[in-house]
Amino acid sequence: MNQKNNLIIGLIIAGVIFMSANVGADPRDFVEGLPNIGIIAQEITEVDPSLLGTAFWAMLETIQMAFIGTVIGVAIALPLSLLAARNLNSKFVYVPIRALLAATRTFPSILWAILFVIIVGLGPFAGVLAIIMYTVGFIAKLQYEAIEAVDADPMDAVSAIGVSKLQLIRFVVLPESASHLLSQILYIFDYNIRQTSILGLVGAGGIGFYIINYIKFFEYGKAAVFMLVVLVTVLIIDWVSVRIRDKYIVKSQRGMQVKV
Amino acid sequence: MSLAKPSKVKTLEKSLIFTKTIVQMNDVSASYDSKSYVLKNIKLSIERGSNYAIVGQSGSGKSTLLRLMNGMMNPSEGKIMIDYQTPNMSDKKFKKLMHKIGYIPQNLGLIKNSTVLENVLIGALPRVSGLNSFLKKFSDSEVSNAKKILKQVGLEGKAERKVYMLSGGEKRRVAIARALVQEPEIILADEIVSELDHVTAREIMDVLAEAQATMNLTAVMVHHDLQLALEYADRVAVIKEGEKILEIGVEGDRIVDFQSGNYTQREILEMFSDEPKE
Repeated sequence: MNQKNNLIIGLIIAGVIFMSANVGADPRDFVEGLPNIGIIAQEITEVDPSLLGTAFWAMLETIQMAFIGTVIGVAIALPLSLLAARNLNSKFVYVPIRALLAATRTFPSILWAILFVIIVGLGPFAGVLAIIMYTVGFIAKLQYEAIEAVDADPMDAVSAIGVSKLQLIRFVVLPESASHLLSQILYIFDYNIRQTSILGLVGAGGIGFYIINYIKFFEYGKAAVFMLVVLVTVLIIDWVSVRIRDKYIVKSQRGMQVKV
Repeated sequence: MSLAKPSKVKTLEKSLIFTKTIVQMNDVSASYDSKSYVLKNIKLSIERGSNYAIVGQSGSGKSTLLRLMNGMMNPSEGKIMIDYQTPNMSDKKFKKLMHKIGYIPQNLGLIKNSTVLENVLIGALPRVSGLNSFLKKFSDSEVSNAKKILKQVGLEGKAERKVYMLSGGEKRRVAIARALVQEPEIILADEIVSELDHVTAREIMDVLAEAQATMNLTAVMVHHDLQLALEYADRVAVIKEGEKILEIGVEGDRIVDFQSGNYTQREILEMFSDEPKE
């Protein structure tokens, strides 16, 4: 068993070395480039505080985009995840829905953003649409997995009463998976804020637009102001999600551990 | 305890079968994997309004017997009739009967993050329209009926508690209340008092016995404990390795054997002398 493990680890390491050579990932380039970090670090400290106002409004736009994208994305994902769950549907329903969701997940949000910039033009609306698409594909997968993990006992007990599927969903599936669903929604909102922050790279609105432009013109100090605002925002949102988790999720999970 | 030989009672029962039987199983076999049988040639008939117990050790097939009765599982051979219908979950007619079968699985199947009242009202769902149930809107009479039943099972004042905050005995009372809210004809309970101390187990059994008497229900209960089963049930079927080996009941101070079993009293007691093995 140990020998087998060693062989697997050896093969993985060999794979990394071989593939690095293939893609031209040479550690020597990194060592040679190290002094550049110093230049960036020096320029980044030359923060321009006059841009803070602009950065704040750009961040607010980003948060709004992420919020709309998350809410609408989750609203679309939830019914789809109920249709994609194997414990609630026949093969003929869940297989095509899963295929659709997998197709949605194929594109990262930045590619969706490029697509929507072409369709609806430059600006935050394209970004919101991109976030919606990404959220649907991603959160629906997490949610149908959570739904499939719902304890079979309450499902059996309530199905045995002869209730409708909608009633089963409302009274068993949703309450039993609620803490997972909430946790995933918080996670995707947090994730979407960071995603939306870079969508400006392709002209889809948000704070990323400023960051990429200042970096293009080597104005690292100005870009730094915007990055700092992103950092602070992400930290605040992280803190808020921890509080929400403590209040609603940890408590119910403790409940789940109590043996019947 | 002494086991009597098959008596006249058996013939008497047979003559009443057509009017009083609510559960009838004829040569029923069941299998999960088509390789081996969990139940083999089970014959039994349960009278309306009676308290029937099924006793056996772990893996003897007793839980499967309950799942066959409520249509959660289909027999591989034989015929089952519940209130003159063949159990089948996808049959609309049987679905109506399912509304009247209160099933309490071994792990109770409660929604842990919901309140006691929400859990109990699940029993009323067949009487609530689709939209109202989606909005969790129950009529005042349904809510007050549920509260009345909570009081009946000894959970007065705990309607708004979350289920995960309750003790083991209280959780069992919630499961009983949910089944009673269905206004059932039959209650199927799978080892509802196992893992409870003797005092609490008897309290729970008393709650069920009282409900059974006042609501005129048929109770089919799976037990580990033969002594407890004999104390509460009119009849006890003993299942061993998927086969019904005995059907006994207490008549006065005697144990009556309703099926000519090949086991002696001592053998039966030996079967149950050990602590149940999981």
